[in-house]
Amino acid sequence: MIVAEAKPFDEIKEMVNGYRKVLVLGCGSCVTVCMSGGQKEAELLAAALRIARGIERREATVDAKTILRQCDEEFVRQVRDELSSYDAVLSMACGAGVQGMNEWLRNVPVLPAMNTRFIGLCEGQGKWVEVCAACGDCVLGVTGGICPVTSCPKGILNGPCGGNKKGRCEVSPDVPCAWVLIYERMKERGKLEEFKKERAAKDWSKRQRPGRYTHRP
Amino acid sequence: MRPIIVPPCQAACPINTDVRGYVSAIARGDAEEALRVIRRVNPLPSVCGRICTRRCETACRRAQVDAPVAIRALKRYAADLAIGQSFFTRPLSSYPEKVAIVGSGPSGLVAAHDLALLGYSVTLFEARPVLGGLLSEGIPKYRLPKEIVQREIGAIVSLGIEVKTGVRFGKEVSLDGLLWDFDAVFIAVGSGKGIVPQCDGVDLSGVFSGVDFLKEVDRGDRQAPGRRVVVIGGGHTAIDAARTCIRLGVSEVTVVYRRSLEEMPAGKEEVLRAEEEGVRFVYCAAPIRFIGKTRVERVRFARTALGEPEESGRRRPVPLEGSEFDLEADAVILAIGYAPDAEEIKEAGLKVGERGTIVVMDETGATDITGVFAAGDVVTGPMSVVDAMASGRKAAGAIHRYFRRIPDNAFDRLVSLRPLETSVTAAIQKSERQEPSLLPREQRTTSFDEVESALDHEQARREALRCLNCGAGATVDGECAACLNCVRVCPFGIPAMGAQTVEIDVAQCQACGICAAECPACAIHLKDDARYPMRPGVDRVLEKAREESPDIVVTGFYCCFRHPLGPPVERHALSWIPVLCLGRLRESDILYPFEVGAEGILLVSCRDEECRFGRGVRLLAERVERVKTILDDTGIGGSRLSVVAGDDECDRFIRGIERLGINPVRTGKRVAA
Repeated sequence: MIVAEAKPFDEIKEMVNGYRKVLVLGCGSCVTVCMSGGQKEAELLAAALRIARGIERREATVDAKTILRQCDEEFVRQVRDELSSYDAVLSMACGAGVQGMNEWLRNVPVLPAMNTRFIGLCEGQGKWVEVCAACGDCVLGVTGGICPVTSCPKGILNGPCGGNKKGRCEVSPDVPCAWVLIYERMKERGKLEEFKKERAAKDWSKRQRPGRYTHRP
Repeated sequence: MRPIIVPPCQAACPINTDVRGYVSAIARGDAEEALRVIRRVNPLPSVCGRICTRRCETACRRAQVDAPVAIRALKRYAADLAIGQSFFTRPLSSYPEKVAIVGSGPSGLVAAHDLALLGYSVTLFEARPVLGGLLSEGIPKYRLPKEIVQREIGAIVSLGIEVKTGVRFGKEVSLDGLLWDFDAVFIAVGSGKGIVPQCDGVDLSGVFSGVDFLKEVDRGDRQAPGRRVVVIGGGHTAIDAARTCIRLGVSEVTVVYRRSLEEMPAGKEEVLRAEEEGVRFVYCAAPIRFIGKTRVERVRFARTALGEPEESGRRRPVPLEGSEFDLEADAVILAIGYAPDAEEIKEAGLKVGERGTIVVMDETGATDITGVFAAGDVVTGPMSVVDAMASGRKAAGAIHRYFRRIPDNAFDRLVSLRPLETSVTAAIQKSERQEPSLLPREQRTTSFDEVESALDHEQARREALRCLNCGAGATVDGECAACLNCVRVCPFGIPAMGAQTVEIDVAQCQACGICAAECPACAIHLKDDARYPMRPGVDRVLEKAREESPDIVVTGFYCCFRHPLGPPVERHALSWIPVLCLGRLRESDILYPFEVGAEGILLVSCRDEECRFGRGVRLLAERVERVKTILDDTGIGGSRLSVVAGDDECDRFIRGIERLGINPVRTGKRVAA
């Protein structure tokens, strides 16, 4: 799932400064699941903007709404007329949603309220961690299902490196060494022989941007 | 027939009272609304608040955790605040038909009430000089004071019901005569004839019926029946007769019942009260002979053993040979049941059933004579007051449909919520049941003063808060993104992933509101939201506060479980909003008063370990931190928001707000955070 988080409030406020009537638009998919950009957050951000504008004695029309997905034109089309009555839409979707919205909603600027962070997993209520770097050449099959490209700050394919201290990474004691985790996982599965094999360099050309995918080429 | 799922208390109540509705009204201090909810279905609430057999409490799911909610006591609490007050008026337009109701017991009274409200002319016939049947003469006044009965009846009669007392069915009025004058007749004459056991000596003087005895006492023409009284039976009449004897000064009263305490229809609490007053109980013994010359001197009993269960589900008592024993008695009161007067019924030309009852066609109470309906004890044999009321209600509906030629409707069937799962009961906080106080024993044995008093305000609020709000919990709408946050935060582990969205089992949900407050899609709604409307509540409170305190307004949210009696402190600048656990407040709920101009917001929560729902306080603390950040960011300042515990903290907070001055939203000046 794509995880995004709201930008600092001042930045958002500044961004919509020039617009009189603003709609905070939540997205009902990934960012709702990671709690940062669903209807609840849209309402809260709208309220905060109304308060801030109220204090500055400015026009305080800031509404909130959510659609199921901002990254598909069909969903956006359903609300196009309604959205067109605003001077700006403040999107709480990921970068894909914001770009799609700008593409399909030509007459209204769509501004990002979020910083899109990563593809991640929930680590318990309200906590997410990045687990996939979208490298385009997955190695999980030979690393016990733990991604060294994402979870190791160096992204090395044959670890651990000398920076491993008691299972923690030299980068930060908060970061576990991905290669120690991979070792333990493979040991648990009786696959240490495989662990000892050298892994060849990845095909980084697959990560060339912008990536494209066609279902039936 | 459409099944409607309701809380167990409502499904168990013969008149389907919205128990949860009125209990929750009491919990939030709105006794008037509670009474309105009760009165919607019950014209005798103060009567029922005293003597109802409370099937609701037997069904109450609180019992799975500790003890059932004291529902009857709560009903009495609400009802006694306005005894006899009319809540409804007769409709302006009325139907031409006239109905005669014969018998003014609970069944007849409810039928009269309902038919009058439907717009029919109702005449109520009663053989005795006072209305009420058993309520007025039969149920002793230490359980049911007569002025209460008369005031509630007065309110019913004031709906424009014509009353004819001293008119006996079969004597002063006949069925034929009534059918000549009225378009329909409802017979609810009850069952006033005591059943007499088939044993030798039953005709001796000093042996008499419990029903007659209690009636005579209520009419004021009965002295102590003897020095040593034996009461035979195990129902309410038996216990009532025994306790009445004590009050008349009888020195030795023994109740003999043929089964064990477990099977006793009167209930353990009644037995306990009687024992406190000095009544002796002998179980598993049945009378076989009454012995004496002209007046009874002794009663011979045989011990019984309990055999196979009977149709009623209770085990049949079987006399044991050679187990006879005698009890000395100078008076014997028989309270083994009563039956309708078969002669009256037969003479009227109605079909008589096995035990002298009127035979009806179906549950509408229609008899084989067109336009004649019957219900209550006279149809079923002795039943509880609330069952009799329910029978009157059904009959009134049937008479209305008969007049208006409306086909018998398929009644909506009320289905009770399932019992709580043990995983849920284990997570529910225990809470002691509030009991009404009782008259001291010495006063009970020497007077007919009412034994039980009403709950006081504090007890009532505390008791009402014990209600688990069954079925008023969370529902999930189509906006659910299946994020599973509710699954992760629920203190009771109730939300579960369904096919597409999360599903919350209405039978298990405890209505804490924590999941709704955490739902990022705003897809979870509480059924009781309508009763605790957050935003209109805030608007109303702020508007009022602004009139009274134009400078500084502080909005306070307090947890009802922590402060059941209302706001923790009263201050000029403070306006309060009660919340059932602050764990249901969203960040935007906390922020909202600032948006509409409040200077400060105070949250009075429980201590973490006290939270009724376990994690409400902790989640609130997290949300408050978040809102403080927003307040700092927007320029209002996070110090205008605080979670406090005690009174002095409230005052300190208000002083702090006074120093900060008015909300910059109102002035438009940005104040340094």
